[in-house]
Amino acid sequence: MKVTYFQQVPYRHLPSDFQHHHESVVTTPYHQLTEPDLVHHAYRDAFAEMAHAARAGFDAIAITEHGQSCYDMAPNPNLIAAAAANTTEAEGLTTAIYPLGRSLGKSREPLRVAEELAMLDAVSGGRLIAGFPVGLAYDANINNGVPPAETRLRFDENLELVLKAWRARDPFAWNGRFHQYPAVNIWPRPLQDPHPPVFITGIGNPRTMEFCLDRGFGFNYFGWFGAKVTGRRIFDRFWEIADRLGKDANPYRMGFMQTICVADTDAKAEKLFAEHAEYFFQKAIGSIPMERLALPGGIDIKGLEFLFRDPGDFGIYAKMREATFAELVDAGSVVCGSPATVREQITEFAREFRIGNLHTMLQFGSMPTALAKDNISLFAEEVLPTLRELWSEAGWAHHWWPERLGGTPIDTTRTADEAVIA
Amino acid sequence: MNQGSITTPRERDVETWDGKVTLRVRVAGDGPPLLYLHAANGLMWDPFLTALAERYTVYAPEFPGTTSGDPYAIHQIDSLWDAVLIYEHMLRELDLAGIPMIGQSFGGMLAAELAAAYPTLFSHVVLLDPIGLWRDDAPVANWISASFPDLVAMLFHDPTRPAVQDLLAMPEEPAAHAAAQAAMVWNLGATGKLCWPIPDRGLNKRLHRVTAPTLIIWGEHDALIPVRYAEDFHRHIADSQVKIVPDAGHVPQVEQPETTHRLVTDFLV
Repeated sequence: MKVTYFQQVPYRHLPSDFQHHHESVVTTPYHQLTEPDLVHHAYRDAFAEMAHAARAGFDAIAITEHGQSCYDMAPNPNLIAAAAANTTEAEGLTTAIYPLGRSLGKSREPLRVAEELAMLDAVSGGRLIAGFPVGLAYDANINNGVPPAETRLRFDENLELVLKAWRARDPFAWNGRFHQYPAVNIWPRPLQDPHPPVFITGIGNPRTMEFCLDRGFGFNYFGWFGAKVTGRRIFDRFWEIADRLGKDANPYRMGFMQTICVADTDAKAEKLFAEHAEYFFQKAIGSIPMERLALPGGIDIKGLEFLFRDPGDFGIYAKMREATFAELVDAGSVVCGSPATVREQITEFAREFRIGNLHTMLQFGSMPTALAKDNISLFAEEVLPTLRELWSEAGWAHHWWPERLGGTPIDTTRTADEAVIA
Repeated sequence: MNQGSITTPRERDVETWDGKVTLRVRVAGDGPPLLYLHAANGLMWDPFLTALAERYTVYAPEFPGTTSGDPYAIHQIDSLWDAVLIYEHMLRELDLAGIPMIGQSFGGMLAAELAAAYPTLFSHVVLLDPIGLWRDDAPVANWISASFPDLVAMLFHDPTRPAVQDLLAMPEEPAAHAAAQAAMVWNLGATGKLCWPIPDRGLNKRLHRVTAPTLIIWGEHDALIPVRYAEDFHRHIADSQVKIVPDAGHVPQVEQPETTHRLVTDFLV
């Protein structure tokens, strides 16, 4: 299994009663709640934690994008990825650079996305993995003004444009529904041939899963809603669709993000991390009201009917704003304990659901940077080596990982299965 | 009113947009023709339309994407201009010209756009709390990101009124309930494509082209589009008058049906 270190840039000092006085973490008043020095330190800490993880031997540094939010002040993950790419290159660390990444449903400058990522691939010497979320409603639509009914259409067009801009040998004109360009000829092109591996992030919509499988993209799922509650639904759905489409069950197709804390003993882990886990889930993900996560027009009507009939894909989301540490652990929103506990739980879960890429969120919420580094170190020493062995016996090729780092990437104009045969 | 009576709507499908968009038009009544354009949540055949159908033949097209069973028609429409051309084509197919037109909210914007694009096509225009303009000092409320209770509060001055409760009633059977919720959300998304996040798509530059006599009706307590917008529409349309309906929110024909009906029919006579 590939194990990435997952970094966000939270504002770590929201008041303890924040969630009782503020509607959300994506409509948070800025000046009232922040101090400039603490904002500055949020970035210093995040960059230091990221470098610490790269040195500790994680397979990749994964970064998300969130505009106008206090739980992740990363309006463009590629800025952070650029620093990571250069730091790791300078230190000779063979860590993949993995923006999880730029939302293509949101982007009004898709060529700029293609250029930035190509640049990251060039800076990192071919270590880029590109994640493309469709885009969260509050970000794509409210922050960026895209009518929700256009989000998916923009994503579809922008993804094709990015891929073509990366691969084309000659300049081409683009006559799209949303974008028109007389001559696309980006500098640089990605180093990786045919192109950097691509993952799409989804929340469980079968259409997105089908799209990933059909096109040969990796699929990322984030476990904040409580993967012990949602896993059976989401992962089984993915592998059922793979089976129906005649795709192999290569676990490297699947990426999964898990919030994790590890200490010498279970009791110590709870003592050290419980308050930060509660901070994160109550004041971050839990404080995004549903009407900001799902806007009319953003979800397909069939998906809407499904969600209204059966909201189970949202796990414990509805009560997250008040969730206790025990409830978060029960739901699997966070895995917390001794190295043995964490190893055991994640190994069982990853094996059960055929997860070949684990994104580990080891700093979250108010967790101070010293504690985050301890968490990173202990995980890297005591958990990561075991997890890395998972799937190594099975002999699957990793088609969604850079060649320089041991992967065998595929051209997404062909399916993974065809590439294997070829 | 009995089922099958003259005011019960029948369906007529009109093919437009080179066969890519079929507009479903609900038609009721046997009087002179009248065009009705519905609000953002899709067409609901309410008592206001039934009352109109007693005097007129009401033609009420469903905006593409809001017709049951044909949700993806909205993907054929990239812009307001596409929608205006589709509606104009529909009117030709139905052989309708020189007729009165009523539009509510989103439908009011569409009506204003049609009357601005084709000034001679309509004898009268009635705009019920239309969307389509923007003032920084009185922003239109964000109906797309409102929770359902907030949306109800935006739409109605007194949501406890029986007429409002009738309108909001949902089927009890779970599958039908889910389908009705999904349809309402989808419809808001489909219509939102033409007027969200900022409903000003240039109508303020085009409104002066409306030459038909125009009645602008506004609910006094409209919490979605403040009543002061009535004066903005009035200022741009030369032959226009404003009537404010007291004790009503964004949908005066539901909260004050008799007053609104009388204002409309007096104007059209």
